[in-house]
Order: sequence, then C-alpha cells, then structure tokens
Amino acid sequence: MADLKISNVKKAYDGKPVLHGVDLSIPDSHFAVIVGPSGCGKSTLLRMIAGLEDITSGEIAIGGVVMNDIEPSDRGCAMVFQNYALYPHMSVRQNIAYPLRLAGVPVAERNVRVEQAAKILNLTDYLDRRPAQLSGGQRQRVAMGRAIVREPDVFLFDEPLSNLDALLRVQMRIEIKKLHKRLNATSIFVTHDQVEAMTLADTLIVMNGGRVEQIGSPTEIYREPASAFVAGFMGAPAMNLLPATVGADGQILLDAPGNPQGLARCALPEGSPVTLGIRPENVVLAETSGAGLPATVDLVEELGGSRVAYCNVAGHEMSVVLPASDDPLEGKPVWLTLPNQDLHLFDRISGRRLEADMTTGDKLAKREVETVA
Amino acid sequence: MTTEALRAPRIATRPLRRISEKSGLDTAAGHVLMVLLSIFCLFPVYWMLASSLRPANAMFETSLVPTSMSLDNYTQAIDAIPIARMLINTLVFSVLSTVFQLLTGIIAAFAFARWKFRFDKLVYTAIALTWLVPFQVVMIPNYLLIAQMGLLDSVAALILPNLAAALAILLLAQAMRGFPREVIEAARMDGARNWRILWEVLVPNLRGTIASLAILIFISSWNEYFWPLLLSRTAENSVIQIGIQMFMTAEGNQWGPLMAASTLASLPVLLIYIVLQRQVVQSFMKSGIR
Repeated sequence: MADLKISNVKKAYDGKPVLHGVDLSIPDSHFAVIVGPSGCGKSTLLRMIAGLEDITSGEIAIGGVVMNDIEPSDRGCAMVFQNYALYPHMSVRQNIAYPLRLAGVPVAERNVRVEQAAKILNLTDYLDRRPAQLSGGQRQRVAMGRAIVREPDVFLFDEPLSNLDALLRVQMRIEIKKLHKRLNATSIFVTHDQVEAMTLADTLIVMNGGRVEQIGSPTEIYREPASAFVAGFMGAPAMNLLPATVGADGQILLDAPGNPQGLARCALPEGSPVTLGIRPENVVLAETSGAGLPATVDLVEELGGSRVAYCNVAGHEMSVVLPASDDPLEGKPVWLTLPNQDLHLFDRISGRRLEADMTTGDKLAKREVETVA
Repeated sequence: MTTEALRAPRIATRPLRRISEKSGLDTAAGHVLMVLLSIFCLFPVYWMLASSLRPANAMFETSLVPTSMSLDNYTQAIDAIPIARMLINTLVFSVLSTVFQLLTGIIAAFAFARWKFRFDKLVYTAIALTWLVPFQVVMIPNYLLIAQMGLLDSVAALILPNLAAALAILLLAQAMRGFPREVIEAARMDGARNWRILWEVLVPNLRGTIASLAILIFISSWNEYFWPLLLSRTAENSVIQIGIQMFMTAEGNQWGPLMAASTLASLPVLLIYIVLQRQVVQSFMKSGIR
C-alpha cells in the first residue's frame, strides 16, 4: 500500500499543453475517482501515473518515491484498461499468471495465487477458457484478476466499465467497491460517468480542460460545487444554471425579460454578471398561481419512481424533479419556487463559486414575487 | 416536406421482396461464377497433368482425357536432369528465404510500429520504394557482389539477396500498427520488455498474417527463375525451374518430359496446400490478403 502525490504535473504534445499543472495528494488506501468530460486529460493523467506517458514537467511520487523515470512495471501499479487488454492467445489462467511469470515467481506459488484471484473474482470455472469465449463482465474480471495477482501498491482503472451494458456496469461497480474494501489498496479510477464517480469515490477529483476543478468527497462536491462547471457536470439531471446580474444592493436578478425575480444578495458590484444554480430536486413546483417564477412545462420525462419536468422560465430551461404521478403537466402553466438555502452562485466570467447572503435574498425574493404578481 | 407526407405509408406503395429469395438468387449466381472461374484456373493444371501422361506420339491430341497413358515422360525427365537434387535445392532455397524474410520482417516491422525515431518515415518510404524497383535494375550489382564473394553456382548465393524483403516489412508493420495498443501497454505494465512483447504477445497474435505471408514468400521463391538462371552453372546446384527450362532447347521443345517435370515441380507446393488447406484459407481470410 502507498500514498500518491502529484506535484505540478504538466503534459504537452508537440508543444500543445493538455495538462496545465495538476496537484493531487491521495492518501494510502483511498479510492480516488477522477471524473470529467472527454478530452479533459483524466486518462492522460492516469497513464502518466502508470508510466505509459512521459511527464513534460512536475513530479509523481508513489509511497514517497519519485517515479518520473521509472519503468511502468517497477512502479508498483497495476492497471485495468477500458478494453480489458487481455492477451487473446492465452487462457484466463495464463493471462492472470503472466505478470507473475515475468516476475519469476515459481510455478507452484504462481498457481496458488492465480487460484486465489480466480476465487475472489468467481473465475474458477473459466480458468481454461480463452478471452474470446468470455462475456464482457467476465473479461473485465479477468483483467482485474491480472491486476490483483500482482499485489500492487496502487490500482489504476481506466474507464473499466465503459464497455459493459447498464446492468453489468452496476454489478461490476459493486464488485469493484467490495474488492477495494477487501484489498484496501490505494485505487485511482478514471471515468466520465458521474454516477460511477459518486458511488465509488472516497475522494472525487473533477477535471476540466486539463485542470483540476475541485477535489473533495462526493457529498462536498455535490453540495458545494466549486465552479459552475462542477455544478453542471455532477448530478443527473444536471443543476439548473441561469444567467443573472447583480442589481442594486447586491441583489441578484435573473437575466430575463423584465427581470422577474430578485433571488439573493452577493458582495459583487452592481452590474456584475453571475450564474445562479439550483438542483432540480430542490425546485418546488406548484400548479396554483401565487408564489414563485411563472413557467410553462415543455416536456415531462417519466423515470418510474419520479418524473423530470423541463420548464421554460422567461426563455430559460429549468428541470424539476417531481414525485411519480399521473397528473399530466405538459403545456401547463406552473410556478417554481427556488428556496434560497438551496441556491448556488457563480461568477459568470471566472465560473468560480460565490458566497451569497441568502437570508437577505429570501426577503428580496418575496418582495419581487409580490411585484411580479 | 409536410407532416402528412412524412406520415404517408410509403413502404406499401412498392413491392416487397423476401430476403431469402433475393439472397438465394445472388448465391446461385455467385456459385456459377465461382465454378466458371475455378475451371478457368484449374484447366491449365489439368492439361499439364494430362499431357505429362500422354505418350510422345499422342502429345498433340486435343481430347480432354488422354486416349492412352504412359509414364515414359517421367522416366525421361528423371533421366535427363537430377530432378531430386533440384527439388531439394529449391526446397532449401524457398524455406530459408521464407524464414529469413519473416525474421527480418518481424524485427524491422516491430521497430517501425513501436518506436518513433529520427527519419523513421523516410526510412519506411525508402523500404517501400525498394519494392517498386524492378529486379532487372539490381540484378547486375547483385551478380557482381555474389561473384566477388566467390559464391556463384551455389544455393547460398540464391538465398543471400532474399534475406529481407520490403513486402514482409510493410505488411507486418501494418499488421502490428493495427494491433490493440492497450494489450502492448498491459504487457509493459506486467513487466514485459520489448523482446518479450514482440515474441510472446505480438507474434502469436499475428499468426494469420505471418502464415499468409509465409505462403506468399514460399511460392514466390519456389517459382523463382531469373535469379537462379543468372547464378547457376551446374544442374546439381540449380533449382527445379531451371531444370524445367532445360527441356526447351533450340532444337525444339520436349513437351512430354517438360510437362512431367512441371508436374513434379508442382507436387510439393500442392502437397503443402492440401495438408494446410484449412489453415491457409483461414490465415488469408483473417489477414485480409485475398
């Protein structure tokens, strides 16, 4: 087991930077998930940790030892690839045993360790099959077997569940989590799937455009996103992000015809552009007029246990999570209330989070609603 | 287009064909074409065999099946040239050329597929260009070199310029570039260095390409005529293609023994194909060389 420290790591291809200086510290035994959209540099960072990509500048240390120039196999890392990367001409047994054979482990010990790994991953019955004779989930388990048999200090997972169907993905996600609890090895998991990220992570690292946007626990990141990007990326359906402007006395007004509602206060000067955020499950929808923002329901998505209503609020789209019901809402006028304690405020230029004075905002909201009504 | 136009049941306005009927007709037409092509390809081989069995006085008969049969042509051919020796020479030349071209091809292709180095594209292009240079351009320099080495009239001299070939390098480099990068990276993570990656991961997975390439090189070496003709001085150090040519003289062609020698020359290749038929077809299908 070992901790991982990444200091100001940069990567450029032909002079074009793709990672702009990443700093990370992952404690021993932690399960860290790097999440971000395609092309954000998360896989590049993982490959640099593995030693499969050169580091343009900066330092990567595993267990206190700088690994920049160390061969991938000597870094104490084992990697599980997105496409499994099994050796097609070898049986499951040979695949799992290959790293041990290369390390010169005696045959008897090798067999014991392969059998143990196969038992943990329920692969005992498939040991003599070729990868082509296995399902996607079984192949992924073989890839994990090949990783755990090495007893590495750090496990690296490069989007290992992306090629699996939805049901299998959930099963494998649970298996990975159980495996981590059992082996307790430091693990770094790269994904673009925020549900995977939220459910697996002890520490969540959100990346965007070659930079780390936020590091924290899944709940911290969900509840207090550090930027509009994080707010929009984490959570399904995504957080509603509405353009607004700071008015007189720091009052925030939606950028909509007639500025229908003042919602909160902030310390920015008047005229500053901001982005107002609220999670769809925090928006309160009422079918009777009287309070909140007037809106029209454009579309309702049925999810079985709940519904998502997509509403038009003064030209902006807002999604609202509603409890399951047969009440037809599409095309109907509704009124949306945005509780101040659930509002998030971001600087529209930098995208960074701002702290708003929500108590005052509540009063303002009420006053504005009266004006609108 | 209006909404009504989009909703109109266009499918119902045209006759619907059953998939099986269509594919049945296509398959039958395909089979007829393949049978005709097969007859076109196999007829010269059959005619060679039939002619080799015709007695000298019936050599120019045009009947499809020989009216009388004899093995005299084979006896004459075996008496006229050291045919066994020539077949062994051809086999040694073909097998060693195949092995060496594959070996050099695999190693060179790995370098091109795996590493980026200065002028790599230039070197690769230069190798590709050597493939386009006709044999007639390089035969004189090659001949002089072999003569200076004192290797004229030897099997070694036949093999020497065939130790490496552009075709093998280009085909294998392409196959290696198409091999999943992740598998090679997984091998690196597992502790394999380049030599092991090449022989334990890449080569076993490129068996299809290597097998089809081996067959191509072997057949092309087996049929080599011009280079052995330049170097050979004695029948004992020559190959079977030169032996066949010995029946074509200024006084006239000895068609019977010529056909018998040709049949004997075809037998080893035919035997290899019969034994490895399944693997040969599979490897050509897998490697995409058809």
